This record gives sequence, structure tokens and C-alpha cells, in this order.
Amino acid sequence: MKHLTRLVTGVLSASLTFGMAACSASTPSTSTDNSLTFWIMGDSGANFQKLTEPFTKETGIAVNVTAIPWDSVDERLTTAVASGKGPDLLQIGLTKLRQFADAGALMKLDNELGSYPGLAASNFADAVAGQATAVGGSIVSIPWVADTRILYYRSDILGEAGITKPPATWEQLRKDAKTLADRGAGQYGYYIPQWDSTLPVGMTWSHGGDIVGPKGTIDFDSAGFNKMVDVYTGLYADGSVPLNADFDQAQGFVSGMAPMLISGPYLSKMIRDAAPELDGKWNVAMIPAGTQSSTSVFLGSSLGIWATTKQKDNALKLANFLSDPATQLKWYEIQGEIPTVKAALNDSTFTSDPMVKLYAQQLASSKVIPMVPNWDHGTGEELLNALNSIALNGADRGTALADLYKKTADTSAK
Amino acid sequence: MKQRAVPYILAAPAVILLMTFGIFPILVAAVVSFTDLDVVGLADMSKVAFVGFDNYANLFHDPDFWKALANTGLFVVFGVPAIVICSLGVALALNSSNGRFMKVLRSFYFVPAITGIVAISLVWGYLYNAQFGLFNWILTSLGADPLPWLSDPALAKFSVALVAIWRGTGLNIIIFLAALQGIPQEYREAAAIDGAGRWRTTVSIVIPLLRFALFFVTVTTMIAWLQFFDEPFVLTDGGPLGATTSASIFLYKHGIRLNQFGYASAGSLILLAVIAAVTVLQLRVKGKDDDV
Repeated sequence: MKHLTRLVTGVLSASLTFGMAACSASTPSTSTDNSLTFWIMGDSGANFQKLTEPFTKETGIAVNVTAIPWDSVDERLTTAVASGKGPDLLQIGLTKLRQFADAGALMKLDNELGSYPGLAASNFADAVAGQATAVGGSIVSIPWVADTRILYYRSDILGEAGITKPPATWEQLRKDAKTLADRGAGQYGYYIPQWDSTLPVGMTWSHGGDIVGPKGTIDFDSAGFNKMVDVYTGLYADGSVPLNADFDQAQGFVSGMAPMLISGPYLSKMIRDAAPELDGKWNVAMIPAGTQSSTSVFLGSSLGIWATTKQKDNALKLANFLSDPATQLKWYEIQGEIPTVKAALNDSTFTSDPMVKLYAQQLASSKVIPMVPNWDHGTGEELLNALNSIALNGADRGTALADLYKKTADTSAK
Repeated sequence: MKQRAVPYILAAPAVILLMTFGIFPILVAAVVSFTDLDVVGLADMSKVAFVGFDNYANLFHDPDFWKALANTGLFVVFGVPAIVICSLGVALALNSSNGRFMKVLRSFYFVPAITGIVAISLVWGYLYNAQFGLFNWILTSLGADPLPWLSDPALAKFSVALVAIWRGTGLNIIIFLAALQGIPQEYREAAAIDGAGRWRTTVSIVIPLLRFALFFVTVTTMIAWLQFFDEPFVLTDGGPLGATTSASIFLYKHGIRLNQFGYASAGSLILLAVIAAVTVLQLRVKGKDDDV
């Protein structure tokens, strides 16, 4: 329980360093001339080292990989900004892009990309290319890996309940979920991850709403948003979804407790590993459509170049290598992360698997979460708190939503 | 001259450490609490502005802060007596015999205190899990309904507190055991000669003689509860919907996750003031009637 002290010391060291940084202008980046430091998120460090071996062989530039757990990304950003000692290149989750850019950690790339045809915006999936992920009008990152949300369903269980095809609309999903939940006590039809703040946004888009107003600030209050709230809270009201926050989706899907759910492609691998015997008894589909479309969220990561790196050219070279369709396909092969480069997405090795083809299809109708200062712990968390307070705690819908609108108003989303 | 310097030299390391890692950070936090320092300001000092008492005023109007303080208060009110009574009870029981079994039991009770919080959170997370957890398996085997241990706002408070109590007793049991063994055997014998039974001896002789240990354990336990962080952080992340968000979790979320250093510093100073006030109050109360 020493965390208070730790917090205070954190603030101390932070403020100390910013005082010192002011005196010594800019602190040099840690890497020397012929090596680059790369921060990768999650546990894919070893694979990434493998991926960049050909690059090192060809250019003589060594790549030092530091793996950063997703949970401690914020802390690492703070200490790196405060100390001025960052990597040369790093992977940044799309929902964190604005936060990093605001902190001045990312180099503006508008004038840098011209000499690298491989990094041109037209090469990348439209949802994330160029201005789509610009912050304050400047391009601060290069798309890298893609992630989206698709519908998983247990065809065997749906069939037994007389449902012949996966629900194509949210209305249909709600009906089917109710039918499936009626199988008995402890059985559900669908699962809503209570921690996924991007799902309601995709649903809002599908219902023709948007969460950004005409002024470029967050504005949840729209007809589409309200329809999403109807479906979201309706699923709980029907008793079609589990109430516990610690529900395990893979376990729930395999056991059949929650035979439908929306998740990322990574779940496919988990299911195959955990339950090979279910092969052929489950499948994926495009997420259900709202009143307007079947729009999913475009998640994933971009590459950023640290603002104060002395290795700009080498860093861009590495980014160029990573954006090569062949490298992107190789990464899909060893790490299972989906490319953002169009040429790779359209490659036959990628589209030959029908399940994988569907990811690409869903990606084509996906949009990125608006660039707000802090989605994960700010705007997104407020959204989830409002929805869950209505669905789980029985809070008054009008009050909870009015509170959400008020709290998130004036949040800039550019 | 040399003689005079000795105590200062001896005290210097402790004082320097305390100043560097205790007092100085608090002073810095005090300064930061009057600014709007965030991660942008961290990179570019010219973007940091003094905002006077704005952070404090905003905290005062922040319902989440009050909720976090109320949660902390609740944890203190129920958690402190729970830990003190449990540790004292176990220590008295362990002290009743010096057999080998009791010695093994002593280390058994100390294990939670030295186990890493991450391991604890994993194990308890599985025990509490509503889908496949042991507790719900036991409940359903007995024919009862499964419980949403970490999902129901009221029950989640109890669940995280239970882990903290389980974890907090270990060290306090050792403190009580040490104090119990410091009680001269003559007192017990005198009581026995006067015809006092076991219960009477414990209540009238042993517990009063433990007064100093009791005071120490109460003060440290209360401070620990006021800074309650680890268990809700790893088990519920302050959820569901803020039900287990203690003051420290609130500060962590604003300071580290949202990079609102000014706001979090203001909150941490308020928490510091509360802890100081509570501790001083305890010292006063004890000072009045203490002459053991």
C-alpha cells in the first residue's frame, strides 16, 4: 500500500526532470548511430526481433526491441516525456495516438514521407490512412497493424434453437439472443464485454449516428446513439447477456453459455487452441447492421517516430520496411496481426481463408475512434460508465445520459 | 565538538532519506497542486500555468472524489476492526501452545503477507470468478445461488476488503505474538493464584498489557486502509462503476492514467491531511489515558 508515496515520487521525479530538461534543452535519444530502439506493445517482442532480421542484414542497422505491457503504456509515456529519453520508433494503439501526439512525443511526418513511396497514404487502408489519423491536421504516425470487431457465433447451438443463420441486424440479434437465453438457467444468448468502450461506438455508427458534433467536439446526443442505447440496455433487460464483469468470453463461447459475441480476430486463435473439437461448429460473420449499415470499429496500431530522435532517417527506413506488403504478410504469419497495407490485405495468401477474408471485408466498413485526448481512460470510460450504470445498476436513463453528454461536451476530437 | 557531531552523523542517513523521499516529494506535490501540469506541460514547461486553488475547488465539486473518500471511509470503519480483531484472535490462539504444529501454523498465517500481490490477485480472481470460480462451485454444490463476487457493487466492496484483511493479518499476528511473549509469566501466575480462569486472564491481564501493540497495529492498519490500493487495483480496477474506487485509486487514475498531475497532487495532499489528522487524533486519545 505504498502507492501513494509512489505517486507522489512519480510526480516529483516528473517535475524535477522537466525542470532539468528546461536547462539542458533536449536530451539525446539513447540509441547510437547504427541501432534503433523500438518500443513494441504487448508480448510480441521476440517475434518482432525475428521480423526485423532481414532489415538488419540489409542495412546494418540493429533493432533493439523493448516490449511494453499494454497496461503500463501510460506510465512509460509519462516517464519518457518527462526524462526526454524515449525510443526512436514505437508502436501506438490508435486510441492512444492523440495522447502521445499531445504530449509532443511524436514527430510530425507531413514533410518526411515524400521520399518514401512505401509510406504514402494511398498504400494504407482508407480508414487509417493519412488525414484519417492526423492529429491537429498533422500526420504523426504510419498505420501498421489492423484490428476490428466481428460477430462470432456457435452454428451448432444456434441451429438447435432453430436459428439458421447469424443475425444480420441488431434487432434480429436481440431476438435470437432472447431465444438462446431461454435455453435454461445460466444460459445466455450474447455477451457484452463491459470493458470494451469501442463496441457502442460501432453500434452508434451502424444506427446512423456519430459521436462527433459539427464543431469537431464529442457529442453523443444523436438519434443513432439513442437507438444504440436501446439495443445495449435492451439486451440486459431481456436477460440475454451475463451480468458479471469477470465473464470469460472464450470460456463462455466454448462452453456454449454465450453462443454469440463480438470480438477481435485474436479470439479465433484462442478458440482453435482451447477447443479444437469445436471446429466446424462455430463461424464468424460481419457485425449486425443497425438501421443504416454494418459499421465496425477500426482498431489496431500505428508506428510513430519519437520527436527528439537523432535517427530520423534510419527510423523512417525501418518504418518503410515494416510497411512493405511482404513484411506485413510475414507479420501476419508469425504474430497473427492483420496488415494495414492494401496490397497485403488483397494478397491471395491472406484472402484464401474465408474467415480471414471476412476480417478484410469488415475492415473495409470500419472507422477509427475519433482522436480525443484520452479515449481509453477518459471519454470511452465515461461512455461505458453511463451505459453500464443504466444496464447494471438500474440508473435512470435520462439522468445518466444527460450526465454523460455534460461530462464529455467540449472534448475536442481532431 | 566531535562528540557533539556523533548523533547528527548517526541520524543523517535516515533524515536525508526521509527528506528526499518523504518531505521533498510532498513539497513538490504541494507546488504542483496549484498548477495545471499535465503530460503536455511535462514536455514543455511554458505550457504550465498556476491556477491557484482551482484544483481544490474542482475536487470539492467532483462527485467521484467524494465517492472515493466515502468508499475509503467505509473500508476504514469495517476494515480496521476486522484486521485488529482477527490478528489478535489468531495470535492469542497461536500463543496458547508452543507445540510444533503451532509453529508451523505461525508461518502459515504469515504467508499471505509475503506473497506477491499479482499472484494473490490471480488466485483470488479465480476463486471469485462468477463463471468457474471455486466459491460459486461450492455454493452451487450446496444448492445455493451463485454470487457475483466482483460484479455487484456492494458485494465487490466486501470481496476486495476480504482479500486485504486476509493479507493484512499476517504481519499484525507476528506483532501481537511478539508482544504476547513479552508478557511476564508471573502476571499470569498471579492471576491464576487469585482464581482467574483462562478467559478472565486474557481479558483483564493479557489484553491490557498488549495496549501498546494494539495501538501500534491500529494506527498502522488505519493508515494502510486510508491508502487502500493494491487489492481493488488488481481485482476490480476500482469497479464495478466506481464501487471499489478508494481515494488512492482515484488519485492513480487521475494522476497516472489521465496525466492530470495538478489535480491528482491536490487530491493526494487532501488525503495526506486526512491521514495526518486521523493519526494525530489517535495519538491524542492514547496520550490521555496511557501510563503503561
